[in-house]
Amino acid sequence: MATIVGAFGVPHMPTSPGDCAANADSLTARAFAAVRAHVDEIDPDVLLVFDTDHFHHWFYDRLPAFAVGVALSTDGPGTDDWPGEARFEVIPVHEDLASHVYASGLSAAFDLTLSQEFQVDHSITVPVHFLDATDGVVQRPIVPVWINGIAPPFPLASRCRDLGGMVAAAVAGYPSNARVGIVASGAISGDIGGAHARPGSPMAPPDQAWLGDVEGWLREEQLDALVAAATPGRLRAAGNVSGECLNWIALLGAVGGRPPTFLQMDTYGGNAFAAWDLR
Amino acid sequence: MSVYTVHKLLHRAQVDLEFREALRADPGGAIADWPFTDEERTALLSGDVAALARGGAHTFLLSRIPRFGLFGLDRDDYIRRMQALRNDAEPALDLRDRL
Repeated sequence: MATIVGAFGVPHMPTSPGDCAANADSLTARAFAAVRAHVDEIDPDVLLVFDTDHFHHWFYDRLPAFAVGVALSTDGPGTDDWPGEARFEVIPVHEDLASHVYASGLSAAFDLTLSQEFQVDHSITVPVHFLDATDGVVQRPIVPVWINGIAPPFPLASRCRDLGGMVAAAVAGYPSNARVGIVASGAISGDIGGAHARPGSPMAPPDQAWLGDVEGWLREEQLDALVAAATPGRLRAAGNVSGECLNWIALLGAVGGRPPTFLQMDTYGGNAFAAWDLR
Repeated sequence: MSVYTVHKLLHRAQVDLEFREALRADPGGAIADWPFTDEERTALLSGDVAALARGGAHTFLLSRIPRFGLFGLDRDDYIRRMQALRNDAEPALDLRDRL
């Protein structure tokens, strides 16, 4: 049966590929490189990504709380174009595992939405660029599992934790020797385009209290405390993209609340960079 | 305010490059057939992003206006105008527990 061999959490600022190429010594560049080293060392066969699409594939015309992408491949970020971004014409999708996760979810009372044709935005291309791609070519197939963390009201944190548990059970029941890596894509605290943006940037300063609390819960394996605190109101108060924290909660649900092998916080950007070696 | 239509415009500007260009070249013409209220149309065409946010527009989606150079706003204009919301008693609608 398949096994989860590692888990990796990273943010997905769309300008990071360009910024990190220009300055490899920045905190962001070094933190992405540190997580990449763990991916290379653990070397999973497939990356299942808990992700927040930012009104690119998913929009208010059809907005699932949870969805799975089941296809042979995807591409991105398409018209989600940013300066210096990483572009991929082909990102392979592990169609069979994706299909298994979708079916397992339905069997476990998770009424998942299915998408069989989709383009991923920077929330997938940035993690793929930093954690997987070599010379611009994606090495491992992905399984996108989307969580609505952008358009309130969000699904409950407890439900996201349980979604992670469902994924772990689905992997454990997948008849293959696949070694699976779990990825959480997104910020811990961030607000983009709001009233408190910093001069020269669309981003507001992160919610330091929330960031500090989440760091403590991550380090001390206190998933239940994080889930209890991550109420819809608290996530929104931490900024309009802080719902991406739900992707981290799903990851923790999948890895069983174990402590990270590596954790680097970015208090300026409101981010965490983390790796779990589960071998 | 038909906030869904404002959101739809900002989604279309992201996924349809031809429409994005048309919106840059002739904003009034590009949205002429869109079913906005007079108030919304005025707010859009004058780049009054604070009014759009007060009407319930998601600030993440509004940030596409300066990103794509729409309605005459660059990033600094956008940030300056959004700062008006800091004095509001109520938070922006996208930070409240309802649609």
